[in-house]
Amino acid sequence: MLFMETEARLPADRRGHLHPISSLIREANNIFSEMGFTFAEGPLVEKEWYNFDALNVPKDHPARDMQDTFFIKDEKEMVLRTHCSPVQVRYIEEQLKKNIQPPYRVIVPGPVFRNEATDMTHEAEFFQMECLVVGEDVTLAHLKGTLEKYFTEVFKGVSVEIRFRPSFFPFTEPSVEVDVRLIGEKAPEKLRGRWIEMMGAGMVHPNVIKNAGLDPQKYRGFAFGMGLDRLAILRWAIDDIRLMHSADLRFVNQF
Amino acid sequence: MKVSKLWLDKFFDTPLPSADVLSNALTFHAFEIDGVEKVGEAKPSDGRPTDVSPFRDEVLDVKVTPNRGHDALSHRGIAKELSAILKLPLAHDPFVVSSDFSKKSATVTVSIQSDLCKRYFAAYIKGVKVGPSPKWLKDRLEAIGQRSINNVVDATNFVMFNTGQPLHAFDADKLGSLDIGVRLAKAGEKMMALDGKEYGLSDSNLVITAGDVAVGIAGVKGGMACGITEDTKDIVIESANFDGVTVRKSAGTLKLRTDASARFEQGISPELAAEGMKGMLEFVAHQIGGEVAGFVDVYPEPQQQTYVSVTVEQVNKVLGAELTGADIADVFTRLGLAYKEQSGVFEVQPPFERLDLIIAEDLIEEVGRIVGYDKIPATPLPAFEKTSELNQNFYTAEKVREELLAQGYSEVFTSVFAPKGERVVLNKVDGVNPYLRTTLVDGLNAALKKNIPNKDLLGLKEVKLFEIGVVWKDGKASPVDGLRPRETTMVGIVTEKQPAVEEPLAMHAPGVFPAEYQNLPLSVAVQYKPFSKYPYIVRDVAVWTPAGTDEKNVAEMIQREAGELCSKVSLFDTFSKGEKTSLAFRLIFQSFDRTLTEVEVNKIMEEISHILVGKGFEVR
Repeated sequence: MLFMETEARLPADRRGHLHPISSLIREANNIFSEMGFTFAEGPLVEKEWYNFDALNVPKDHPARDMQDTFFIKDEKEMVLRTHCSPVQVRYIEEQLKKNIQPPYRVIVPGPVFRNEATDMTHEAEFFQMECLVVGEDVTLAHLKGTLEKYFTEVFKGVSVEIRFRPSFFPFTEPSVEVDVRLIGEKAPEKLRGRWIEMMGAGMVHPNVIKNAGLDPQKYRGFAFGMGLDRLAILRWAIDDIRLMHSADLRFVNQF
Repeated sequence: MKVSKLWLDKFFDTPLPSADVLSNALTFHAFEIDGVEKVGEAKPSDGRPTDVSPFRDEVLDVKVTPNRGHDALSHRGIAKELSAILKLPLAHDPFVVSSDFSKKSATVTVSIQSDLCKRYFAAYIKGVKVGPSPKWLKDRLEAIGQRSINNVVDATNFVMFNTGQPLHAFDADKLGSLDIGVRLAKAGEKMMALDGKEYGLSDSNLVITAGDVAVGIAGVKGGMACGITEDTKDIVIESANFDGVTVRKSAGTLKLRTDASARFEQGISPELAAEGMKGMLEFVAHQIGGEVAGFVDVYPEPQQQTYVSVTVEQVNKVLGAELTGADIADVFTRLGLAYKEQSGVFEVQPPFERLDLIIAEDLIEEVGRIVGYDKIPATPLPAFEKTSELNQNFYTAEKVREELLAQGYSEVFTSVFAPKGERVVLNKVDGVNPYLRTTLVDGLNAALKKNIPNKDLLGLKEVKLFEIGVVWKDGKASPVDGLRPRETTMVGIVTEKQPAVEEPLAMHAPGVFPAEYQNLPLSVAVQYKPFSKYPYIVRDVAVWTPAGTDEKNVAEMIQREAGELCSKVSLFDTFSKGEKTSLAFRLIFQSFDRTLTEVEVNKIMEEISHILVGKGFEVR
């Protein structure tokens, strides 16, 4: 018998608490599956090819230096994934193996790792949500529309504004930084009435489309990668990112 | 990169608008701005006489993106951006001025022995007058955080920050030989650099030699022995092009990152070397004196003109906008990108320094950012022709979560790093727990132990935790590809009665998956409240109350009297005997800034009893 089948359910007031990150993922999946998105996932110990090369991050890119990435000892070209973006290429490859051509719409929420010293705003282990849309008529305007829809659903009863600023990521071209501003009484304090940098995004670089096995002349896509810990911190005014992995119920039980 | 507004002004016919306007322009059309700083303004607090530093400048800290390190790590590059964004003509572009490099040097020779050097342009200049720099030059350099050294060294620095081309000046008499070479260093070769430190070199470092003796680490730093001093008369100016990756590695391994290496490592155009030399000649003519004895320019494979094409249709299909050919032509003109247009197809000839413009999407980005991303509409995705697939692992995880929450378990995430395991990461910054966990059990047991002391504070009858997470266990390398099997997602639980246990999440998968996810509750939390890091004290108080007493009123009365040191009042027991009801309350005392004493809490409890008795209740 499985262990959790041995216990009785308790009255509602003694229900346990869902981790805020799980709540954000659950909510994002609700919103995105309504728009036809599939929840995709990939390994946490990843090949350098998927984490970097396939994403147009060249061998001599500073991001591949030792200080940012956890390399696995005695395993050639294996790393703890530094973002959820490797699943972009993995997902497309899996679909093509099954002979399923685009359009594709996926979200990839999950843990990611950076070899950094931790403090109130930095964690070596945190959560991201990657989003990828591939098709023949995908545009940067769709990225804006999709983000507007997502944040409008997350922050109900609030007016959401999305702003793009130019940026650079090797795996997108054009690349943008996304700022969000919430207007209205119901907006969380930290997000109310001011522009907050929320994520990096852009149109998938043709090299990434090609590396995944698709014809970049025919297919385009947009992608974004958002820090879920950061969203949680802003939404609920959390004062220390390390609480997420603290396993402290003084934190978890507030959610 | 620090950029001076007064410096930028010199590229235009009229002074630029305020630094705030420039900052906004760059932020929304080019680069993030890390800050704007006023410099040279004498502050009374400095204790400096106010007439010493009368120049006033504003300095923008521009975060040049890695794709634009080729051209924009320079005042000229930023001025060109501003010219495009603000539609102000770049009236004084040093790159369009021509120079005469025809006089060949009879005495200096250059031999490139490595293809990691694409160009080495040298000028032999005789009879310079080394001395302090003029005030304007000192002001410019100091504004961007550079120390003025002497007019010759300052001139090379100015030209680098102006054009993006690093230069180096050697004292020709101290070189020992005017036969200059570029080669990889020999193992064990050593050089004393201008910073006074001796560097041990290897064959991964590119060096500049004179008579085969290392006199500079290419693209990083010059040698001490032939530095410019007050006695210097004749100089050799180097304006060269070195391989970016090699320079980056040299700067990294020698722990010697310089303004020069920061530019070379981005990969810059070898054409830029001529612009650097041109800039230096201006200083020879007007500031440092001397005469050009001759040039040597070794440039085996000149950079070829490239072409990139993009159509109006492509631009709109990527951006989702409705731009016209005229809009696109306007952007290219403003950016100074030469183009030919024929029936909606633009063929662009990127200027030599724009090494980032390679594919159509690069041009589309130029159009998008210069037009402004605020012009991009927010278009909803059309209805999807396929249905969302159900992710079975996520479905199972959600089902398990829901069941465990209903059983009173709360969800935690513990670290994937552990003190032991099968796989280990290299170079972990904090040095502890470098292994990847093989089990959730240890993390859960530790989490339980940590939470038990807070049970009363949390108002819990029992601490019950669960985690759904990945472990890496029994990873035997596959004989086929050497790879280990994928990680396993486990679910683990722990309670005060039961040490942690775990099993694979997959064991909880339903026999048949539904087509859709269940609609499960989300967190209703509005705002997180920080908790105190100091210990808390628990006290109980029970009172007999007459029939009809509202327990909430009693709780409020207690809370009011207990004051702000009491973080929680909760009713934990009630029973009735005849007409009377006993209400038992639990009080949690805790401070945000200190450890409370028993004495002060007891005193508060006495006061609470006193008040309750005063209200006619009988304290049990």
